[in-house]
Amino acid sequence: MEGRTIPNSPITDHASPITPVVRVSGFVKRYKKQIAVQGVDLEIKRGEIYGLIGPDGAGKSSLMKAIAGVLSYEGGTVEVFGTTVDSERSAEQIKQKIGFLPQGLGLNLYPDLSVEENIDFFARIRLVPEHELDQRKARFLAMTRLEKFRDRPMKNLSGGMKQKLGLICTLIHEPELAILDEPTTGVDPVSRRDFWTILAEMQQERGMTVLVSTAYLDEAARFHRLSFLSGGKVVAAGTPAEVQALVPGLMVTFEATPQMGAMARLKTGYKQVEALGSLLHVFTEETVPAAAMQSIISSLGDITPVHLRVDEPELEDVFVALLLRQPAQPPPAELPRTMGLLANHGLAIEAKGLIRDFGTFRAVDRVSFQVKSGEIFGLLGANGAGKTTVIKMLNGIMPPTGGEGWVAGADMKTAGGAIKERIGYMSQAFSLYLDLTVVENIRLFAGIYGLDTKATDQRLTWIVSMAGLKGYESNLTGRLPMGVRQRLALGCALVHQPRVLFLDEPTSGVDPIGRRNFWEILSRLAREEGVAILVTTHYMSEAEHCDHLALMFAGRIVAEGSPGEMKRQVEQEAGQLLEVVTDQPGPALRRVAEAGFAGAALFGTKIHLLSLDPPQDEARLRMVLASDGLHIQSVSTRPLSLEDVFVHRVMALERQEQAAAKGAAA
Amino acid sequence: MKLADRLAVWCRRLAVMTRKELVQLFRDTPLMGFLIYSFTLSVYVTGNGIQTQLKNAGLVVYDADRSVSSRELISRFHPPYFRFDGELTHPDEGFHWLDRGRSMMVLDIPARFHEALTAGEQTAVQLLVDTTNSPQGLSAAGYAARIVGQFSQELIMMRNGQTGSSSTTVPMILSDHRVWFNQDQNETWFESISHLLRMITIFAVLLPAAALVREKERGTVEQLLVSPLTPAQIMLPKVVAMTLVILGATAVALFGVMLPVFDVPIRGSIALLFLLTALFIVATAGIGVFASTVTKNQAQVGMMTLLVVAPMLLLSGIFTPLETMPAWVRYLMALSPLRYFIEIATGILLKGIGLEMLWSQALSMVALGGSLFGFGMWRFRKQFE
Repeated sequence: MEGRTIPNSPITDHASPITPVVRVSGFVKRYKKQIAVQGVDLEIKRGEIYGLIGPDGAGKSSLMKAIAGVLSYEGGTVEVFGTTVDSERSAEQIKQKIGFLPQGLGLNLYPDLSVEENIDFFARIRLVPEHELDQRKARFLAMTRLEKFRDRPMKNLSGGMKQKLGLICTLIHEPELAILDEPTTGVDPVSRRDFWTILAEMQQERGMTVLVSTAYLDEAARFHRLSFLSGGKVVAAGTPAEVQALVPGLMVTFEATPQMGAMARLKTGYKQVEALGSLLHVFTEETVPAAAMQSIISSLGDITPVHLRVDEPELEDVFVALLLRQPAQPPPAELPRTMGLLANHGLAIEAKGLIRDFGTFRAVDRVSFQVKSGEIFGLLGANGAGKTTVIKMLNGIMPPTGGEGWVAGADMKTAGGAIKERIGYMSQAFSLYLDLTVVENIRLFAGIYGLDTKATDQRLTWIVSMAGLKGYESNLTGRLPMGVRQRLALGCALVHQPRVLFLDEPTSGVDPIGRRNFWEILSRLAREEGVAILVTTHYMSEAEHCDHLALMFAGRIVAEGSPGEMKRQVEQEAGQLLEVVTDQPGPALRRVAEAGFAGAALFGTKIHLLSLDPPQDEARLRMVLASDGLHIQSVSTRPLSLEDVFVHRVMALERQEQAAAKGAAA
Repeated sequence: MKLADRLAVWCRRLAVMTRKELVQLFRDTPLMGFLIYSFTLSVYVTGNGIQTQLKNAGLVVYDADRSVSSRELISRFHPPYFRFDGELTHPDEGFHWLDRGRSMMVLDIPARFHEALTAGEQTAVQLLVDTTNSPQGLSAAGYAARIVGQFSQELIMMRNGQTGSSSTTVPMILSDHRVWFNQDQNETWFESISHLLRMITIFAVLLPAAALVREKERGTVEQLLVSPLTPAQIMLPKVVAMTLVILGATAVALFGVMLPVFDVPIRGSIALLFLLTALFIVATAGIGVFASTVTKNQAQVGMMTLLVVAPMLLLSGIFTPLETMPAWVRYLMALSPLRYFIEIATGILLKGIGLEMLWSQALSMVALGGSLFGFGMWRFRKQFE
């Protein structure tokens, strides 16, 4: 530790390669009396992409800030590059080697400066030499595809672009350690993939060490190693494979009618039962496929499952299983039946050629779709694709430039008032009053929708039991955990028993168990009460819950179908997903991309690519890589995820758009 | 029946929204603290502290004569109006005292002062006054002139008496004035009333503006907009709630501080006072509603309030009478509801007059309030289109 006296010397002078870049032991952080982190141990090696995964309030941010030297802590030690970070002075010593991206979209940037000015500013305060700055800037802008927006003020960028710019500004001085706090929250899947590409390249080329936190459990596979945090403690740690091995089991997927009846029977024996569109998804601790299927069939009794399939569980299923082992889980919500609400099987929402212009910019371009009663309809798309504008028009808040629409039997052009009485709406930002209690919020919205005292009391009881709010009634809403808040918001949106429910990114920031409870309520609302639900989301794992999906790009609907259909369409066009495991993923990825394989991307240490002819492509892969002396350990096909579908579609459309723009220019 | 139902729903919406505003305000500890302070302690401090009459003005003297007459003159500059800060040994020292602001006045009495007076000759004293604070300085100079004049008049009379003629042979006019409405010339009355009016004005703009912009800032307005509430139903409850709160605070200031501590009289009708205060608050709230439509967060709306309210307070006639201002300022201030409310409040409290005399001010306030509120409302509706 003699290096501590020479603040700016390169690390190699005083730290051997074996010394971890970050070493945290017994870390404790308290905010007043509330314990945020209690006793976390962690070691990050040089050149590693290390993940911190966990729900909101798990303690990820506190830990990252302490490592970045911007937060004091109550117990334990934090060592970064061999320097103990315990005072402002010691923190100053390591700051030159660190890049820190705080949580929140573009919060570290200056809204009125252009993309280039922001980059220049961050480079100059870090004393990056001008000629190097030009090179790095050009390279980063090309990688993030922000090149053409160089002169655009940051405030006019979309969320995904802001976050990519934030990343460039954090990495412009080529730090040895990048600390990124939830960089992908609220970012669309395509920008998210760009993001991971940059990180992978920096790690490969410069040996940069990266510490990333995320609330998207499906991103876990991208890390070399990870710690799964919950309630301020490490629940599991290790490589993704090691974590997966902690919970042996299989996922069984099938269809059964009636779906809700089957779900109720399975819930008595299994902890994880989910309805995904028409499918049911069950986690069993059986490790033999045949036995897993048999146990499901026997617990279903006289309901016969069809299309049975058994898969390896995803990491998300493993995390949920781990969380369910924790003590003091909130009881699952009960959904009491509503009296006399029969599902009327008609159209709940119909949009016909909807258009909306803002000046010369066409935000929504001839959008048409239909949502039936009792259907969950998902509207997907990147930030700025026009999803929220469509919802605003259907809600009667924003008049359309052209086209027509009917919601719950009312014409959206002439009967905006009637629509507002018949729909429920829940927005992406939590939009209840944080300084009111749970009951005050419910009573407020009951009054707004004109319910009388008797009806208000009835609905209050229903909402409290539906959303599992018992015991929270007189708590201030601001003090509730995110998952509970979200269920309260749903309850308030349902206070007047609407026939149609609009949910605009409803589950941002909710922990996985909270999210699953939430979706279970939605499924039952749709199946049992015939409520039509239109939902937008960035979580592709959530889109799996929808019966029908529509993908928007640049104001248009470009693909439509059930989740299964959407995947099949892409499989027919572009092929199956191949997962390649090699000993040197970085060089291998470059080689694979040069050889012209489509959609090649790095997932942790594995390479994913699309293949129309897997056996032939596998042979070609082995040949191509062998010629460079790279060894393939295994090649396997994996089911396509909706995220793969989304990224494939949007990238193809972006290429078309660019080609069209070039054609027009020429 | 249908209409009655709709009316019932309308009232229910207004009631729940108003209740919500009140609950939210009462839970906003810093704002409540500010509100309570402004209508209690701050009224007390201002009523006691602000004095425009001459009080405690520092005086140093260079007395080159050191005679009976010079000492007699000096002794007439006495407390509470003047404070004797000492004698100087050299006339130039006076400048230092003035430059450093240690004293406000320097009285310079020449040698042979007494001798000249007894000899019946004319003589002069010099008074240097620091008028950086002009009202105090000018009033000090005025007092001093009167003291010296009085002294000189007495000398003349004494001299005439010595020569045998009686005082009645000297022609002179005695000015004898009667003060009305505030016979004790008690300044705390006017100061505490003015301060109360200032506070009412500030909060009438600030509270509705903050409540509206908070909904925007926290995104809760989105939830309200997709509900069946009309923009008017979103805005009105805030104005109603804040008017109730400010009326309550006014009652506390009036009956908790001004009546028991300062003995401010209420000569007119209390009901009329509160009714017109409510009218004033609603009229002024229109400015707040407008402010909330052109700002994005509470910090901005706070600054905006300051920008609008400061000239209103300074120029509406609380600090200085309107009559002393340039004509264009007077015309501009016809647009300030505060200008009329000052006359109403002092009229009811101190003069005991009623609507029979205040009707024109009340009508002006209705007309002005109606247009301000209407304009604010129009802007509020417009921002969501």
